[in-house]
Amino acid sequence: MCASRLVRWAEKRSPWLLHFNSGACNGCDIEVVALLTPRYDVTRFGIQLEPSPRHADVLLVTGVVTRQCAERLKRIYEQMPKPAFVIAIGACGCSGGVFAGNYPLLSGVDKVIPVDMYIPGCPPKPEAIIDGVVKLLKTLEASEDE
Amino acid sequence: MNDVNKNLSSMILEHFGKDTVQIESLKPGLIAIHASSEKNRDIIKTFLDADDEATLSAISGVDLGDSTEVLYHIRTHGTIVTLRCIVPRNKPTIASITDLIPGANFHERETADFFGVTFKGHPYPKRLLISDDWPEGVYPLRKDAEIPSPETKAEVLPEEEMTTRAEGTRTVKIVIGPQHPALLEPERFLVDVDGETVTKVTPRIGYCHRGVEKATESRTYMQDVYLVERICGICNSCHSTTFCQAVESILDVEVPSRGKFLRTIVLELNRIQSHFLVLGHAGHEIGYDALFQYMWRDREIAMDLTEILTGNRVITSFLAIGGVRRDLEEKTKPRIMEDLKKLRERAEFYKHLFEEDRTVRMRTEGVGVMDKKEALSLCVVGPVARASGLKIDVRKEAPYAAYGEVPYELISRTEGDSWARLLVRAEEVLNSVDMIEYAVNNLPAGDFKIRVPRRVAEGESISRVEAPRGELFYYVKSNGTQSPERVKIRTPTVTNLYSVIKLTEGGNIADVPAALVSLDPCFSCTDR
Repeated sequence: MCASRLVRWAEKRSPWLLHFNSGACNGCDIEVVALLTPRYDVTRFGIQLEPSPRHADVLLVTGVVTRQCAERLKRIYEQMPKPAFVIAIGACGCSGGVFAGNYPLLSGVDKVIPVDMYIPGCPPKPEAIIDGVVKLLKTLEASEDE
Repeated sequence: MNDVNKNLSSMILEHFGKDTVQIESLKPGLIAIHASSEKNRDIIKTFLDADDEATLSAISGVDLGDSTEVLYHIRTHGTIVTLRCIVPRNKPTIASITDLIPGANFHERETADFFGVTFKGHPYPKRLLISDDWPEGVYPLRKDAEIPSPETKAEVLPEEEMTTRAEGTRTVKIVIGPQHPALLEPERFLVDVDGETVTKVTPRIGYCHRGVEKATESRTYMQDVYLVERICGICNSCHSTTFCQAVESILDVEVPSRGKFLRTIVLELNRIQSHFLVLGHAGHEIGYDALFQYMWRDREIAMDLTEILTGNRVITSFLAIGGVRRDLEEKTKPRIMEDLKKLRERAEFYKHLFEEDRTVRMRTEGVGVMDKKEALSLCVVGPVARASGLKIDVRKEAPYAAYGEVPYELISRTEGDSWARLLVRAEEVLNSVDMIEYAVNNLPAGDFKIRVPRRVAEGESISRVEAPRGELFYYVKSNGTQSPERVKIRTPTVTNLYSVIKLTEGGNIADVPAALVSLDPCFSCTDR
């Protein structure tokens, strides 16, 4: 019990993010990277972009989920230590966006793995992504009080 | 038809005679050659022999029902000549040209994926874009293809190269990607290393394949502008401009000059932010993270300018067939000028930094060298070609938008290494700032858009734009309805990426990221 509370506390104060592009146009990906750069600088919230799934708490998925990527996305999610949270970024990640229904696509991250938060936009502004991550942290806080 | 094209067509007629080849015109002012499919190698060889700088621009396929047309777009004397060969549907075989032009490798594999055309003599006839679990024998760009549902999966066999390990050698196989800290986008590179030396690189692309070419056929022209724009989030305006130009050329309409100037401004803003992005990313890859943070901070100035002009930060949605969608407001001009001044100061600083800085030079000088001859045979375009001394740029060869009027300067170097490729980009940013400044100050009065019909008469055309990564090529065929019959998109990275095989072989494993990033690969463009 105590250990799980400690994990929750750490996640809330310093969530480590893993970014995976599942067939995006680069628009959302560049905005995710822009979060780390001086103007938006999410490091001040303790947020850090982490290259390995085994160290990450939150998975940021951009893109439509192509057939070729689907299996890989599932494997990355399975490699993450639980509890793991998934944020689908951009219209493509939410529903397939402008590409929905094309032949090589599954159209939407929730077709493959469970999604906790959707951030729509084509692409969402960096401010919107920060807002999404902060809202997710707030829900964690609320669940801790229960 | 201009003089260059006249000379070319008379040369071809002289060589092969009227019985073997027929010459026709292709919009805008280009020539196409009809020939039998057995003659493809001979004709391409004639072009290569006649011009030292001739190379392949793209290969595309068109489904004609009971047959498939294979089009070779050859770039020679600053123009495009199209060779069209028809192969029957029941025996779709044509000779491969990879031994004449190694850079044709990816183009042929793509055509095989989409149309089921077999290229006889291809050294590595494996899937390029279509996923591993895609059923055998379904060719998605054929009009009558039955698209399988996402649940229908073919069995994926473990790949030979990944499992076999040669006995008695010291070769170790390293898999980079699809999810890797050095790659922003998913793509897989299989690197064979002997000690620290790279002996072979095998790329597997197609992780971002979204089937855009097929999707354009089921949407209207107006919707397609927004669809093709989303092929790439970095050079999005280049994609929409190329598509709009191709359609305008079939429609025979002329964009008002204010519209052309506004297009030039947004295209150059695209280039500035893209070059800042890749130069910063190069800093990150060579372990110089301070440079990455600085360049991305200054890149925000270009993003702000894009937002002022178009209303959007990344995907601009600024282009429309017949012009642009928004005007530049007079009151924003002082702010634009102020930002351009800041941008110029920073660009000058970075140019100096890339020229002088010891860290940058030590990591990139002499890494991934490609000479002019190799650049031609690998069909590279854009800053990659210009860094190898190849003076090609669509803005100079075939000026579009307002490029005939703004102060443009071709920047090239002769070193051909990663350092030269980065430096060419750093210098181009300064030229882009000049062009935007001129275009804003000399913006012609009048309309910025004209109305165009929704239906497009039968026809076909080719359009080219110099995107930040090089020549972007579109081939559009219309059939008289509201939707196109076929849209072929050849992005700069498709043709640049193949050269990674040459650039990294024989080098150090630690230099692979530096060589790869100097190509500025955009995988979302590559896979479409």
